[in-house]
Amino acid sequence: MTVATQFKNIKTLIQTGSGRYSRLFSFAGLGIGVLLLLSSVQMFINIQKLLRQGPAKKSGYDFISITKTITNETMGQVEKNLFSAEEIKLIRAHPLIEDVSPLIASQFRMQLSAGEVIPFRTDLFLETLDDDFIDTVPPSFRWQPGQNHIPIILSSDFLEIYNIFAPAQGLPQISQESAGSVGIFITCYGNGLEETFTGNVVAFSDRINSVIVPKTFLLWANTTFGGVQPETAPRLFIKTKDANNPELLRFFDKNNYRVNKDRTKFGRVRQTLQGVFSGLAFFGIMVVLLAMMLFSFYLQLVIARSKENLQMLLILGYSPRWLAQRVAKRFVPVYIIVILLALVSTAIMQWAFHRFAMYNRPELSSWPHWIVAAAAAILIIFSVIINYRLIHRMVNKLF
Amino acid sequence: MLNIKNILPAYFDESVKDRSEWWGKDFVIGKGDYVKIVAPSGSGKSSLVHFIYGLRNEYSGHIFYNEKDIRHFSAEDFAFYRRRHISIVFQDMKLLPELTVKKNLEIKLQLEPYYSSDKITEMAERLGIKNKLGSVTKICSYGEQQRASIIRALLQPYDLLILDEPFSHLDEKNAQLAMDLILEESRKREAAILFADLERIDYFPCTKLYHL
Repeated sequence: MTVATQFKNIKTLIQTGSGRYSRLFSFAGLGIGVLLLLSSVQMFINIQKLLRQGPAKKSGYDFISITKTITNETMGQVEKNLFSAEEIKLIRAHPLIEDVSPLIASQFRMQLSAGEVIPFRTDLFLETLDDDFIDTVPPSFRWQPGQNHIPIILSSDFLEIYNIFAPAQGLPQISQESAGSVGIFITCYGNGLEETFTGNVVAFSDRINSVIVPKTFLLWANTTFGGVQPETAPRLFIKTKDANNPELLRFFDKNNYRVNKDRTKFGRVRQTLQGVFSGLAFFGIMVVLLAMMLFSFYLQLVIARSKENLQMLLILGYSPRWLAQRVAKRFVPVYIIVILLALVSTAIMQWAFHRFAMYNRPELSSWPHWIVAAAAAILIIFSVIINYRLIHRMVNKLF
Repeated sequence: MLNIKNILPAYFDESVKDRSEWWGKDFVIGKGDYVKIVAPSGSGKSSLVHFIYGLRNEYSGHIFYNEKDIRHFSAEDFAFYRRRHISIVFQDMKLLPELTVKKNLEIKLQLEPYYSSDKITEMAERLGIKNKLGSVTKICSYGEQQRASIIRALLQPYDLLILDEPFSHLDEKNAQLAMDLILEESRKREAAILFADLERIDYFPCTKLYHL
């Protein structure tokens, strides 16, 4: 005789008919809570996937630059607007930051002229940072003391701005290729010295908004013409796995560091959306718990109504564990159905979201993420265990 | 098998021990023992039966089953003890009133299929309630319910059968028929019987007799 047929015969002794509405409400509540939870998890994952496509990465890293926010209070106090060696050390120690390179600025006066080709002369600033942080480093980007020629990496934005305004100034527009062949002269002044170097643009950088020279040159020139080697830096370049990581952004905000441009705007959006969906997921969990509570009242009612019959079965030698298992088993299919329905609804929502709101963007899938299915499975296991434990406790009390 | 040491209901006075042949004494009930306990109403017969069956535990002293103190049995231990080792005919029958007589008996067989369901019909026939098997229990007479309760106790394996005033609603003839069936079934299992009643009954061949 199998266990199943054994229970079939005593099934009539457990009165589940009562409290139909509280049962329906608790299952509806469970369904809604699970749906909220699963769809929040799915949207959370969608956001991660959509916004992971930030700026182009070099070898899987994001590079962003930070400066200090200059406020009315710090205006005029240079040391407060610079990163000290101590601060750089602290930033480097942050777990989400892989590496930091200060942008070293020139500490002396210099002038740039383009010789005969473009009749143009201007005061100039130079900056340098570790080669690792530059997106385009040609082999010619080298300098040794004694070398008269300086290779330069220029921000491609600068060329773009120049080309926009050049016609109005009667200057020729130049392409990136020809810009490289324009010879320029850089004259450095300071410490009673004056020296002119030749130079040319060896590459353009999309990442760094500056005029970059080899680090060896600027360190030498700062000592020679400026007489100092700055320990502080106005700007830091940061190498990180994910520039949009909300925790990293919080760290910058907390310290009043300003992150350059819109590299992190995705992160800001993600931060907000993740907050919204975390709130929804939390709400979903609360609804699930509430539904479980409502269901436990219904179970108490079932057990109370069947109390005499259950007590009699226990007296006759039925095991409380076995009885609790049989009673609990009656509700397992309902739990599974309710949670699976919520999963199917999440899948339909995801499909519709991908198809109609995201126009089949390749980063997303029309199917729910495996984590959502895993969450549904965990919820099924969780509710079955809670259900069994509740019933077991109630039956044991009758013993 | 069953070793009873110095037990006394918590709600009884210690002085009861001096007057009683049972309370506060030590007993062993072994295989094939037929123990008769005679006592008037209110002297603790049902309490004793409930203590041994594990329904209540408000007593001092110890009850050992196969050297294990049943006071330390878990709910699961008791379930197994009742399913395989100890059977009982309650004074108040304890049948499920909404079910038919047959269903009440089948519940025992479902728990432990010691016999096939044919045995139900056979025993019911011997005790004269075959025609009541299909009736809802609550509309049966006490006598019929008592016989059903006796049959239910005999449908399972046991080492000890407890009878708590099992014939209180039966006439002499039916009581004797039931006793014959009880003895026959108990002999098959080499089981002991603990028979608690208001008075001595001649057709119970007791090996030990006590007054509570």
